[in-house]
Amino acid sequence: MNLEELVLPVLMVFFMLAAGAYTVAVLDRVIAGALGTPQAGSVWIAPLARGAWLMTQHANATEAPDWRAWRLAPALYLSLAAIGLAVVPWSGSLVATDLATSVVLWGSVEALATVVIFLHGWSANTLFALIGGYRYVALGLSYILISMFVLIGVALPAESLQFTQVVASQGELWNLIRQPLGLPLFLIVGLGMTFWGPLNLADSADLAGGTAAEISGPPRLVWDVARAAMLVAFSGVATSAFLGGWLGPWLPGPLWVVIKMLAVLLVLLLLGRLLPRLAPERCVTLMWVVLLPLSFIDLVWAGVGALL
Amino acid sequence: MESMNHGIGVDIAFLLLATLAVVTAWRVFRTDSMVRASFFLLVSFIAVGVIMILLAAEYLGVAMFFMMAVEMTVMALFMVMFMMNPAGLNPMNMVHQERISIGAGVVSFLVLSAMALLAVFPDRPVSAGLDPVRSLGNEMLGDSMLIFESAGLVLLTTMIGVVVLSSHRGRYGAATEGSLPPGLEPGGDPAGKPEDDEDGGHHHHHH
Repeated sequence: MNLEELVLPVLMVFFMLAAGAYTVAVLDRVIAGALGTPQAGSVWIAPLARGAWLMTQHANATEAPDWRAWRLAPALYLSLAAIGLAVVPWSGSLVATDLATSVVLWGSVEALATVVIFLHGWSANTLFALIGGYRYVALGLSYILISMFVLIGVALPAESLQFTQVVASQGELWNLIRQPLGLPLFLIVGLGMTFWGPLNLADSADLAGGTAAEISGPPRLVWDVARAAMLVAFSGVATSAFLGGWLGPWLPGPLWVVIKMLAVLLVLLLLGRLLPRLAPERCVTLMWVVLLPLSFIDLVWAGVGALL
Repeated sequence: MESMNHGIGVDIAFLLLATLAVVTAWRVFRTDSMVRASFFLLVSFIAVGVIMILLAAEYLGVAMFFMMAVEMTVMALFMVMFMMNPAGLNPMNMVHQERISIGAGVVSFLVLSAMALLAVFPDRPVSAGLDPVRSLGNEMLGDSMLIFESAGLVLLTTMIGVVVLSSHRGRYGAATEGSLPPGLEPGGDPAGKPEDDEDGGHHHHHH
């Protein structure tokens, strides 16, 4: 009983964290190479080599940081990614945590990520990291709101806050088609919350690395792995919420989940490489003036659809 | 206690979480920074949220996580914005009015302990098929919807009103008059603002 209830789910999540982060690193290098950025070394070995190199490096120290928060923040961000991966269902019965409120738990992961990213920037006690942290909070609130409205939209037709039910409700028609605004908005939130590509505003080059400006060595490795794992968690949640999760013909359910997650990751990483970074002020305006009203429309759309 | 049908793991988890909640709540008052205090309070609330999940209040427990996460972030930032400690890393004393606080703490501890020990709690086991999330939703969005919605709206209006009323008083004077840093000596000129020359034309180039 303990084996099935405790050990297997934990192993599943750990495997997803490691395999997912590695997949993101490889895919990103392949895409960069295909788009003309020369890549040193083999795409399969290079991420592992960088990880091993970071493990041997010295962990940087700043003047009077909040040591506990600074060292804990990358680990906490990784744990939040793990919680996100734990609620992604692989089939009707194969899911690490089939909580009745798993959609709300994912919402909490997004909210707590704001706290962790802010703490990561704040606790280093240096200027650029602090600005990165504040910048993320200013943007993170709008990400959370957009994501929440979009996810309430997918919970409506399922009449449940459980991801397995959300997937089961897409038997006839995927939410991708039923609520066409949902997936694009959710993917934008995903890029924002992992500060990836065009929405990399917390750790951006204009802040000399932002919240991660002062970290090196093992903490840097954990932070990078955590961001990649969070992107994988987003692709998993997007797969369950909009792409029908394990549903699909011929192939077994878990394989469909892997294919769909890879497709979402590919789109996210392509966007990350193709689009330029937004200015933070413009990004706030875009979020509150354009995307948040669009998420209202998505919710009204979902509500009308659920009533009809 | 005949209804002890949960495992020893639940008891151990409860004791650990309760300890975590109490210790972090105590740290809120012993730390020297508003940001740290806010996030210690967040850890305390998260521990209480997990205890609520142990008590089968699945929605309320998980709702505690995201509500408190956003709430504590906003609280930490507003305290940094409105108070004298801009970054939140500089040490400051987190306690004041100590005698009244100690009195209030002792009284509420005694009242709550007396209630825990002396009160007769109702013993009405619910049916096994009850879905707590669904019944909570029916309660909040059914007959009581008007009360919850109006309370929420009043709270939101109050929050916006308070910010509007108080935000024009900045750290260095009213926002409408432009903010100037205080002088280095009482009543002195603003610090870091060199006085303009009479003609103010030193940097202009006339051709």
